[in-house]
Amino acid sequence: MTETLFDGLAVQSLAKCDPAKTGLLWSVFLSPDELLSAVKRLYQAEYFIEDLTAIDAKEGYLLVYHFDHMGHPGRVALRVLISQEAPELPSIADVFQGAEWHERETTDFYGITFKGNPNPVPLLLMPEMKGHPLQKDDGARASLADLLPTGEIVRTVPGFDLLTPKAESGAATPA
Amino acid sequence: MAYEEFGLTEGDFYSRNFQKGMREDTMILNLGPQHPATHGVLRVIVELDGEYVIRAEPVIGYLHRMHEKMAEGRTITQYLPNMGRVDYGHALGWNGALVGAVERLAGFEVPERAEYIRVITTELNRITSHLLWWGAFTLDLGAITPIMYAFDDREQMLDILQMATGSRLTHSSFRFGGVCTDLSDRFIETCKAFVPHMRDRLPMYRGLVTDNVILRKRLEGVGIFDADLCRRYGASGPVVRGSGIDYDVRRAEPYSVYDRFDWKVPVYPAGDSMARYLVRMDEMEQSLNIIEQALASLPAGKIMMPKAPKVTWALPKGESYFATEGARGKVGVHLVSDGGKFPYKIKLRSPCYCNLSAFAEAARGLLLADALAILGSLDLVIPEIDR
Repeated sequence: MTETLFDGLAVQSLAKCDPAKTGLLWSVFLSPDELLSAVKRLYQAEYFIEDLTAIDAKEGYLLVYHFDHMGHPGRVALRVLISQEAPELPSIADVFQGAEWHERETTDFYGITFKGNPNPVPLLLMPEMKGHPLQKDDGARASLADLLPTGEIVRTVPGFDLLTPKAESGAATPA
Repeated sequence: MAYEEFGLTEGDFYSRNFQKGMREDTMILNLGPQHPATHGVLRVIVELDGEYVIRAEPVIGYLHRMHEKMAEGRTITQYLPNMGRVDYGHALGWNGALVGAVERLAGFEVPERAEYIRVITTELNRITSHLLWWGAFTLDLGAITPIMYAFDDREQMLDILQMATGSRLTHSSFRFGGVCTDLSDRFIETCKAFVPHMRDRLPMYRGLVTDNVILRKRLEGVGIFDADLCRRYGASGPVVRGSGIDYDVRRAEPYSVYDRFDWKVPVYPAGDSMARYLVRMDEMEQSLNIIEQALASLPAGKIMMPKAPKVTWALPKGESYFATEGARGKVGVHLVSDGGKFPYKIKLRSPCYCNLSAFAEAARGLLLADALAILGSLDLVIPEIDR
């Protein structure tokens, strides 16, 4: 992906990562409203969907969408933070139909609703099952700054501090 | 309760849900989860107009074991044997993905000899997996004999693999920073002798099965996956290479020592079930090439890095993603750690899961028997789909 793929989108943060250390080339933070536009651009640029999942953290559920390219390999991670109180965001199954299953699986495991998923019934868990096995208790949740690499930030919006360690703000975490 | 949420009151959840909005002049047929035409407990519900499939929905999860939850309750070393259980067909492809993700996160250097051993055993395992698929697939299509030949070769290879990994099926011989046992002289001898034997068998497979007109008529032009469909569903492995896309993780995201050997990525442009078949048949030959070269140039040295992690070892903080080329496609492990005793989160990317998700679209409008041929051509391993 070139750095210009997301130009014109209100990206919260766009960072270049070292694939040898993280397996990622780009890490992109987006608001739920921008997700579909970003995904459409990836589709037009002939990316394919690898997987999607959620990370349950102190700040909320961080949805992570992985895309890769068959011609110019380099993994792109789209990251969307949503609250645990109202876990809802738009489905991307209209653009990448393969996302339907990944979204249903994420609903099973985390109780996140993907608005617009064409068949939102349980996928891997039984329909009778109550609860969502991968949700963490409040005490077990870690902060995103401790979990994710910041990479080399190409652009960011003012006030975006998700990955800034809270105790020693300003200090860069290693990529 | 999902029943009320989806407007259902009784009966089988997935059948009733599938029936919503069905046409009045069609019928619904339920295949599986226990059905001779599905391998393992895969269930597919189809809506038929005569013998033509109008709609299909795979129902999965019958073998779901929640591997991702298990990861949250044990150390990463204790979790390693799970990988062989995710995909019993190509256990070492999954071994490689997990150790790769951990080594990437922790910055481990793996000794060269260990990388060679990993390549040799992974490629042997790829051939055993393809042989299992070949036998089972032709059995699906009504050919009873090929599986006897396939299992003859496969048994010999399992014996060879057992010498190197200690197990026949759920291999778990990789370690963070190396492999658990060195190759014995007996292994090297037997394996060197086996490679030419296997290479001689492949033309016989071709004459016996691949060039058979009945097989070709069953597979040619059936279940076409174009490049766009592959991208929309995230298909990978022999499925995309049968759709004319030259994409192999061993080349695209080079790992281990694959770049030192001379081998080709087989690609067929047709996108039909026959193309997927031919890719796998050619891959066996390429794997033999890799094994032969790796055995010839096997370096001496250690098989574990110094100060390799113990069972209580905790992952360092951070995130990493590692992909390998499994027999069925791109195997991915997404690892997130907060530095605690147990991993914070592990996501397993299963290639079959993505390949199978494209089935409903690819099967639309086909004869039921052809839809089953597509299922077989995807080389499904259900525990890997359900995880």
